[in-house]
Amino acid sequence: MTDNQNNELSHEQIRQDIANLRRKKSSQMSLVWSRFRKNKLALAGFVIVSIVVFIAVFADFLTSYDPLETDPFNRLKAPSAEHWLGTDELGRDVLTRLFHGSRIALEIGVLIILFEGVIGIFLGVISGYFGGWIDAIIMRIVDILRSFPVIILAMAIAGIMGQGVWNVVIALGIVGWTTYTRMVRSKILTIKEADYVEAAYSIGESTASVIARYVLPNALPTAIIMICIMMPTALIASATLSFLGVGVQPPTPAWGAMIAAGRGYLLKAPWISTSAGLAIMITVLGFNFIGDGLRDALDPTTKRN
Amino acid sequence: MTNLIEIDNLKLSFDTEEGKVEALDGITLGIREGTFHGLIGETGCGKSITGKAVMGLIDANALIEAGEIRYKGKDLLHLTEKQFQKDIRGNEIAMIFQDPASSLNPVFTIENQIEEVVKMYAKAARSEYREIVIGHLKDVKLPDPETLIYKYPHQLSGGMKQRVMIAMMLACKPSLLIADEPTTALDVSIQAQFLKVLRELKEAFRMTVLYITHNLAVVSEICDVVSVMYAGRIVETAPVGRLFRNPQHPYTYKLIHSVLGVENSLEDLEEIPGSVPKLIHPPKGCRFHPRCDKRLTICDKAVPDTITVEDGHSVACHLYTAGEKYDGL
Amino acid sequence: MSKKKNYWVNRIIRTIITAFGVTLIAFLILHLTKGDPVRIMLGPYASEENIAALRAKYKLDEPLYIQYLTWVGNVLKGDLGTSIRYNRSVNELIAERIGPTLILTGGGLVIALGFGVLLGISAALRRNSFMDYFSTFQAMFWLSIPTFWLGILLLYIFGLQLRWLPIAGMTGFASVILPILTIGLQQEAWFARPMRAEMLEVLSQDYIKTAKAKGLKYSVVVWKHAFRNALIPIITMLALRLPWIIGGSVVVEVVFSWGGMGSLLVNSVLSRDFPVVQAILLIIAAAVVIANLLADIIYSVVDPRIRTAG
Repeated sequence: MTDNQNNELSHEQIRQDIANLRRKKSSQMSLVWSRFRKNKLALAGFVIVSIVVFIAVFADFLTSYDPLETDPFNRLKAPSAEHWLGTDELGRDVLTRLFHGSRIALEIGVLIILFEGVIGIFLGVISGYFGGWIDAIIMRIVDILRSFPVIILAMAIAGIMGQGVWNVVIALGIVGWTTYTRMVRSKILTIKEADYVEAAYSIGESTASVIARYVLPNALPTAIIMICIMMPTALIASATLSFLGVGVQPPTPAWGAMIAAGRGYLLKAPWISTSAGLAIMITVLGFNFIGDGLRDALDPTTKRN
Repeated sequence: MTNLIEIDNLKLSFDTEEGKVEALDGITLGIREGTFHGLIGETGCGKSITGKAVMGLIDANALIEAGEIRYKGKDLLHLTEKQFQKDIRGNEIAMIFQDPASSLNPVFTIENQIEEVVKMYAKAARSEYREIVIGHLKDVKLPDPETLIYKYPHQLSGGMKQRVMIAMMLACKPSLLIADEPTTALDVSIQAQFLKVLRELKEAFRMTVLYITHNLAVVSEICDVVSVMYAGRIVETAPVGRLFRNPQHPYTYKLIHSVLGVENSLEDLEEIPGSVPKLIHPPKGCRFHPRCDKRLTICDKAVPDTITVEDGHSVACHLYTAGEKYDGL
Repeated sequence: MSKKKNYWVNRIIRTIITAFGVTLIAFLILHLTKGDPVRIMLGPYASEENIAALRAKYKLDEPLYIQYLTWVGNVLKGDLGTSIRYNRSVNELIAERIGPTLILTGGGLVIALGFGVLLGISAALRRNSFMDYFSTFQAMFWLSIPTFWLGILLLYIFGLQLRWLPIAGMTGFASVILPILTIGLQQEAWFARPMRAEMLEVLSQDYIKTAKAKGLKYSVVVWKHAFRNALIPIITMLALRLPWIIGGSVVVEVVFSWGGMGSLLVNSVLSRDFPVVQAILLIIAAAVVIANLLADIIYSVVDPRIRTAG
């Protein structure tokens, strides 16, 4: 056999080994899933979140009221058969507003995470992968941004930019991407040292190809996990902004704004604020359970209980 | 001379995820006052656990199924943790561990850590503490103790740390010192230094030591009596000279002849086929029988009793349970 | 240059760059508006003269970098500008309100740290017991409540229903309790979980076995030997959590009508009082930067392995 044929064979062997390694990784995924399934809290979280998503999607059909329709004669009515959660200060049905609020909450949450995520993950990947000057500059920017409390800076930005869903997303997006960058960067740094990446280089794969075929697919599960884990933060942040008076404001039924509006009527009509507050809490708990479950399923060696 | 410590038929198991691990199965051991008693065996045979059991330092998921540990006649197994701490640990029985790098608290000075002991056990005035600490460091032949006391553990070498450990435990003035593989983490040349110090201490203070190790050479250097452990049982006990010259148990024999010494060459080395059994499902009967080349029919059916072959020399092997002495090893 | 000096030189440089960047961001916030910032600040009823005067004062017709340098120059001289809304020096406003904010932030920190550390330690010591599960569960609970709603809830229960505590304003000692509790309880989870993890890690170390083997009392083993080691990483956590504690105190000030810098900030944002907004943002960020540097210094002093290194 000629030298070339020898090389061909050994390259073929290496390619196969790499393929085997990747297959091993995907069978690990199903192992993770089965561990997750066994965690009762995580399942409970999954159920909760599914219900919330259902409500958000079908909000229009779940009640007979319009969330924006005011009814001055029925203001501040206590919960009853016609209004399961009572009415608010303008006579609107609280339950309906709550349901529509879930849609706003989830929409904003996902948008925020996507915005932050795209910026953050992109910067994290190039920072981790290329290192050197690029890494130093990006990490300095991260340092600078993290010197401001997220809520405070986002509030200032959203306040100056004006009301509306998009301004909230942009404000939180500009401020909040740093968490993603750090998480992804450290994962990349570990992957960079991995055996199969070195193997790929040794048979002459190009940088771009290595990133696309090995670095990204392994960073991707991390990214997906991050969405579940970051949803609580996004939800609470956007609700806080609404409460403070920036971002999404009435008459749009945002949970945070509902709590702010109900604040003046706490003694007379506590159900306005309370229902919205409980809604936020339950949704966030659901995502937290899932997040914890995912973390445990992926790395059961860190025994936390 | 009486036995300072008597371990009588100690049975201990661990409750783990994979099942019940029968770590100790009927350990009987007596340590005479003033002797260095070696406990030798391979990794996982239960020697460390035996030492920890004496100190009451076993894990929470360990279950003592049977047996007694008597110290100066008193039963240790029924003591509460508080009683162990107050009455036994330190001032009666002390222990040094394998890895000196992690056995000293990294955030306190050497002085601080030894002073703790002095404060507790020495009847001295506060102003005398420093001198006493320096004195203990001198006992273990540590250089320049006056500056050493201000240092932190990470600033010392492995050998020095281990000597600090001895000094610290000696300051407790115990009647019994348990040494759990103290030289395993040290370089060979440092080992020699350490053993020299230990020998000098033995002469000077007439210490009683339970020396746990897997290193035959160390045992031959420093111990008076040796017990050989295999898979949670003691298979042979003998004075050190006799053990090496005339081992009676097939395992001991193989062990001694599997070490490359100055006298034998590669061809003389014996190999023990197979590997140490997992103690979740230990072999029935004698635990060594699957690997033994002198196996008899009875060996996988009955656990061999411990028979005294000569004065001070006992074996747990079916070759001797019929009352005869086997000469064919 | 020794490794240690090298590290600190780098650290100082990083701090300077961060401080510089922070001023940049605080400055640029103003210019996120579409349209003339001065018109927005003064509102739709402002006269043309006032607008022109303000534009001249803030040099808004000059290129951006000149505006920035002027502002930074002023800050370094100690002049934080003038509030449009109150027509007073920002320095004055902040001086009045910084005390109350420090009370909330400090108090919140003490509660968060205190509860967190105690809960974390007891969870670690009583592993897998009720205490342990309770500690983990309550941590997750606090992490799922928005700060503002927790404040409203506490206000409702203890202020309105039970009438034990005042519901608004800075009216003496009792009025501090609910705001501090709100901040503290929320952040406590961030100390409890790492504290538990650290304690468990430390308790499994060999030197704890040694301490026990010496015959030391259990309390000494835990508090002198274990706790001292487990505490070290908590210092880093403190610095990390400071921005969040400050953020929490801003929200709490709004909920409890507390006259501190936080409520001033929110009102200034809503009323477009940009000089105040810039100044407060700058102060908060500066505090965080300094706190981070301090935390690094403390860490290197408290851990002997770092203190005595190269």
